[in-house]
Amino acid sequence: MTPGRTPLLALRQISKNFGAVEALVGVDLDVHAHEVVALVGDNGAGKSTLAKVIAGVLQPDSGLIEMDGAPVTLPSASAANRLGVASVFQDLALCENLDVTANVFLGREMYNRAGLLQEGQMETETRALLRDLTVRVPSIRTPLRHLSGGQRQAVAIARTVIGNPRIVVLDEPTAALSVAHTAEVLTHIERLRGMGLGVILISHNLNDVRAVADRVEVLRHGRNNGSFRGDASHEEILAAITGAGSPSL
Amino acid sequence: MNAIDSLRDMITRNMRQSGIMVAFVAIVAFFAILNPNFLSPTNLTNIVLQYSYILILAIGMLMIIVAGHIDLSVGSVVALTGAVSAVLVIRNGMPWWVGVLAAIAVGLLVGAWQGFWVAYVGIPGFIVTLAGMLLFRGLTYLVLNNASLSPFGGNYYDVANGFLNGLLGGYGVDVFTLVIFGIAVVGYGVSQWRTRRGKIAYQQTVESLPLFVVKLVIVAAVVMWFGYQLASSRGLPLVLIILAALVIIYGLVTQRSVFGRHVYAVGGNRHAAELSGVKVKKVYFWIFVNMGFLASVAGVVYSSRMNGAQPSAGNMFELDAIAACFIGGASTTGGVGRVGGAMIGGLIMAVMSNGMQLMGVPQSMQQVVKGLVLLLAVAFDIWNKRRASVVR
Ligand SMILES: Nc1ncnc2c1ncn2[C@@H]1O[C@H](COP(=O)(O)OP(=O)(O)OP(=O)(O)O)[C@@H](O)[C@H]1O
Ligand SMILES: [Mg+2]
Repeated sequence: MTPGRTPLLALRQISKNFGAVEALVGVDLDVHAHEVVALVGDNGAGKSTLAKVIAGVLQPDSGLIEMDGAPVTLPSASAANRLGVASVFQDLALCENLDVTANVFLGREMYNRAGLLQEGQMETETRALLRDLTVRVPSIRTPLRHLSGGQRQAVAIARTVIGNPRIVVLDEPTAALSVAHTAEVLTHIERLRGMGLGVILISHNLNDVRAVADRVEVLRHGRNNGSFRGDASHEEILAAITGAGSPSL
Repeated sequence: MNAIDSLRDMITRNMRQSGIMVAFVAIVAFFAILNPNFLSPTNLTNIVLQYSYILILAIGMLMIIVAGHIDLSVGSVVALTGAVSAVLVIRNGMPWWVGVLAAIAVGLLVGAWQGFWVAYVGIPGFIVTLAGMLLFRGLTYLVLNNASLSPFGGNYYDVANGFLNGLLGGYGVDVFTLVIFGIAVVGYGVSQWRTRRGKIAYQQTVESLPLFVVKLVIVAAVVMWFGYQLASSRGLPLVLIILAALVIIYGLVTQRSVFGRHVYAVGGNRHAAELSGVKVKKVYFWIFVNMGFLASVAGVVYSSRMNGAQPSAGNMFELDAIAACFIGGASTTGGVGRVGGAMIGGLIMAVMSNGMQLMGVPQSMQQVVKGLVLLLAVAFDIWNKRRASVVR
């Protein structure tokens, strides 16, 4: 990373409590364009909570969010969307009864002056999008329930690219996927980076993380617990995740 | 793809949809064979007149069921809107259209009331409309002072009992009716053709040309035959025009509009829809307002057909409307179902009731049969889904 470059997204001292649970305590995070930042940590470390803060689904109790160096508020998912943040949530947020095209454009449908859907145009864009990401589905009119887990995940990733986002948050996109499908998803992530986006990848799989991430940020008990380059060793990162050898112990 | 493959593919792909069509045709054939009067012009006209209000209700009910709710209050709302209209027109001597507008206003208010509790307070539609069922039935009794009101007469009576006949002359066969049906068939053909062209342009698979043409010809023949029967009876029923307009409009709303898309999304995965920026509460609110509107239309049609208002009007209509949706392929878990399917489901109920009546089957037995049909339709649906998931 070029030092001194203004990050696309910067989180400063973000805290979030759920009642007595301190999910996030003074967390900092920077994401630049053309960068994949992996967010790792044990179960309950606060990764999904942080992802939801960035996606506008949860509001932090305190802390500052900046985009391009200017402070912003993200009061809702659609507000975050407008600012260029797109997310794939851990609990896969797709409608199984709708087809691929409808899912890709859900909440952002194209319609004409009469208020009718422009299916043709949405199909063309979907097809182009899936081609760019080399996602293979039987047909862009196939209902999601007929797709495999990997294909669904690919559709979920593809839908983030609609509306020209600048930041994409992926919460465990490879959980529950076979090795082959995982490899595919990782390729999609590299394509996103190639398109110039900032990507936040949450994962428990350190092999995946080290394969694509430029930087690895560790969360532990809701706090920053180390920052590593993408080529850091498995052991180093694992130690930070489990807290072994950390200053607090 | 050759015609046979294409046919097989279409049938397996639309198993549920085609299954329901086959069932419908079979039931019609069954009654036609048992009773020669069943397909007579007069009886076909009767079926349209007798079940139009259930079909109107089923349109709104389908959208509610797709969104993952249910509305138990529509029968009471039919009664209430009809009662308000009757009080204004019959008791206070106002013009017929005042009654119609007042009924629709009441329907919209009722819908907004129920939509508020479902969308913004978060009470399940099942509970809100169960309360509404009691509430609006009670209000009907209050509005009518526990007594029936009749007759409407005049223009109001014509809404459900009037015909367009003789506008263009004809010898015992109304030319106007035939022209309208002709226009409908041509319109259907053109829209199907354009859809097909569009699909080809966007590289989607379509059925082979011969199959497509055969399908069009069959539909056109059946529709024109039906039109001919009406034309040689009393002409074009006004309610059929109302119903056709509603089916076309709501077909567009559910399949081609952003709102319709969101109704399906909310019913399929509420959480996902919300995260994608769909305004779930708005969707809930407006589907109930819409149901209130359609219930008021049904209320006008029903009170017009009965030529008056009774406190007990519309009893159990909700069950017929719900059954129509489920027989027509709506999923009990939401997210799946079509207006067209609900219409066929409603027609199956209508044809069975009418056919059994013609055969003199006692009321008790009719209910048993209809109950079983509903059960079998949903069982078939579940079996079909299970089979589909095994295939995958
Ligand atoms: N909506 C909520 N209400 C209450 N507590 C919550 C809520 N969401 C998360 N938490 C708590 O906050 C903490 C962090 O949860 P989070 O989901 O962010 O963890 P995570 O790092 O994503 O874990 P995992 O790897 O298991 O997905 C946990 O203790 C969790 O129980
Ligand atoms: Mg998580």
